[in-house]
Amino acid sequence: MKLLEIIEVLRTKKVKRIAYGVLILLIIVDFIIPRHEIHFFGDEIRGFWSLFGFIACVLIIVVSKWIGSRGIMQDEHYYDDGDI
Amino acid sequence: MSIIMMMEIFSLDFIHPSAFYLIGGLLIPVLKGRVRQGYMLLMALLAFFAVLSMPHGTYGIYEFLSWELTFCSVDKLSKVFAYIFTIMGVIGVIYSMHVKNDGEQLAAFYYVGGSLGVTLAGDFLSFFLFWELMAFSSVFLVWYRKSNSSVNTGFRYLLWHVAGGLILFAGIILQYSISGDLTVQFLPFHGWWPTDLQSLASFLILIGLIVNAAVPPFGAWLPDAYPAATVTGAVFMSAFTTKTAVYALIRICAGSEILIVLGVVMAIYGVVYAVLENDARRLLAYHIISQVGYMVAGVGLGTQMAINGVVAHAFCHILYKSLLFMGTGSVLYVTGTAKLTELGGLYKTMPRTMIYTIIGGLSISAFPLFSGFVSKSITVAAFGEAHLTWAFLALMLASAGTFLHTGLKVPYFIWFGKDQGIKAKEPPWNMELAMIIGSLFCIGLGVFYKPLYALLPYPVHFEPYTAYHTWETLQVLLFTQLGFFLLLKKLWCKNTISLDTDWFPRKCAKAVIWFVNKPLVSLEYNIVGEAYEFIIQKPIMRVAVYLKKIDTVVVDGTINGVGRLAMAWSRKIKEAQSGQIQHYAMLMVAGVIAVIIIVLVLP
Repeated sequence: MKLLEIIEVLRTKKVKRIAYGVLILLIIVDFIIPRHEIHFFGDEIRGFWSLFGFIACVLIIVVSKWIGSRGIMQDEHYYDDGDI
Repeated sequence: MSIIMMMEIFSLDFIHPSAFYLIGGLLIPVLKGRVRQGYMLLMALLAFFAVLSMPHGTYGIYEFLSWELTFCSVDKLSKVFAYIFTIMGVIGVIYSMHVKNDGEQLAAFYYVGGSLGVTLAGDFLSFFLFWELMAFSSVFLVWYRKSNSSVNTGFRYLLWHVAGGLILFAGIILQYSISGDLTVQFLPFHGWWPTDLQSLASFLILIGLIVNAAVPPFGAWLPDAYPAATVTGAVFMSAFTTKTAVYALIRICAGSEILIVLGVVMAIYGVVYAVLENDARRLLAYHIISQVGYMVAGVGLGTQMAINGVVAHAFCHILYKSLLFMGTGSVLYVTGTAKLTELGGLYKTMPRTMIYTIIGGLSISAFPLFSGFVSKSITVAAFGEAHLTWAFLALMLASAGTFLHTGLKVPYFIWFGKDQGIKAKEPPWNMELAMIIGSLFCIGLGVFYKPLYALLPYPVHFEPYTAYHTWETLQVLLFTQLGFFLLLKKLWCKNTISLDTDWFPRKCAKAVIWFVNKPLVSLEYNIVGEAYEFIIQKPIMRVAVYLKKIDTVVVDGTINGVGRLAMAWSRKIKEAQSGQIQHYAMLMVAGVIAVIIIVLVLP
């Protein structure tokens, strides 16, 4: 099946390397993109949104996991005993 | 058009689009097989064309007791919501065509009809009527799952909505008592708590509405009920309840500042819970909360640009969220589970479903060229223009989280991740067709966004595809992806559930039941019971003894006396009875003669 082959190709190491290349390109191009809608200081820093995206991702995962471990996450059958 | 013919035949000025769902739906249980499928699709399409042909204005007014019920109050705002609800009706009907349970089909029809009724209602009474119809019909979509916990989940869902509905109704009644007017109108709530009667009315209405918009802490019903609904039911539910509430919030509460804070909190809250979630459909349910957070915050900001953004986002959200629920629903339908810990490696057997789901994921993440990009960015940019930087950054953060979960986590753990060797295949043709339609809408709106912008309530002065905005979004999203793959180990799910605000009512209810069963019962039995015996039972017994004496001596004596008299008399009468017919006949003749003599002798 053709679709399956395309998916298999996308899973190879080569594609991974291209993806890293794209990330670097994103930051480089950010230095030449014209700024027009400046809402706050971050809009003037080159590569701000790249850093923002990465930190946001890490923050969300780490903080959520921490909150979850404070008693929010419970066994699946937590409510089961004599549920009403 | 057939609809115009019908209107001419019945000499109607208009047909309310709900009629096709509420009255048309009644034939569903009678029809069978292909005829029923075709009929349902026809009704859904006719409802869409009915919306298309509705002129702006206020009509469909009926007298009810001393009130005027206005069923059609049509302007740009109600029309754009009616459009998307009827489009979603068509997609949902196609997706659920194979379902044999006519009750489930009927419930979905009444649910859609209810949301159209709310959207077009011009007075609060009919608004409330349809509002409740939505809750009471959609609960069947949970019950028809028929799993062990369905009944309980359904009742919890209903309790939340009945409570919210009652608060809303209290607000409506108060508003009526103040103004004597039941028109659905602009009643924004300013400040943090009510200060006078008018603001109390607005406050109660606001609370009633945000229960349905799943705003925390009143939103726990959503991730509780949606993953518990049937495969097709969840697709309908993901589209209608919260977005109808968003419509009502725009209509009634736009510019209520409290909504900005609630909306931003909501956007982040949904993302945090999505990290912890193992059930794919519950994860998506938390992302409904997150996405509706953007809308609620936008309603709170209340500028023309923000409202445009909210409406556009609601429009796109219904399409991509239903697409995501269709994709994960297909996985549930085929494999029997939606838990990420039990899935993995499905790309070999369900690659097409994967592509549709990823299209939904890219749309919700606001990837350029997908629908979310042209809608979410209006609201977020409105916050930037209003210089509410904290809200702007928080919403951007939530955007990263959205892509992290819906665009990456869900597809990765279902279709890649650890291959569980599950035997699967693509879902039935109708489910796939609905997903194709949804995907086309998601990409279509992302590329050709002008027609959508033309439907928005205010003129749009916004261009989504500027170089900087596109680049900003790409950076946030692709670096989120980098973070995802670097932290992948942390994201493997565990077989857990996450406690939400419904912990309080659920545990409190358990505590109340325990209190009733244990302390209250023993209190009743040991103390109240004993006290009852000493204070009430014993004196009553004593009084009863006296009464008994009176009864024996006076009452019985009298009765016995009468009885003895009667017996003496009857003994006398008995002696006169011979039992021979001629004696009686003779007596009768003598009696008759005596009467005649009396009549003749007396003058």
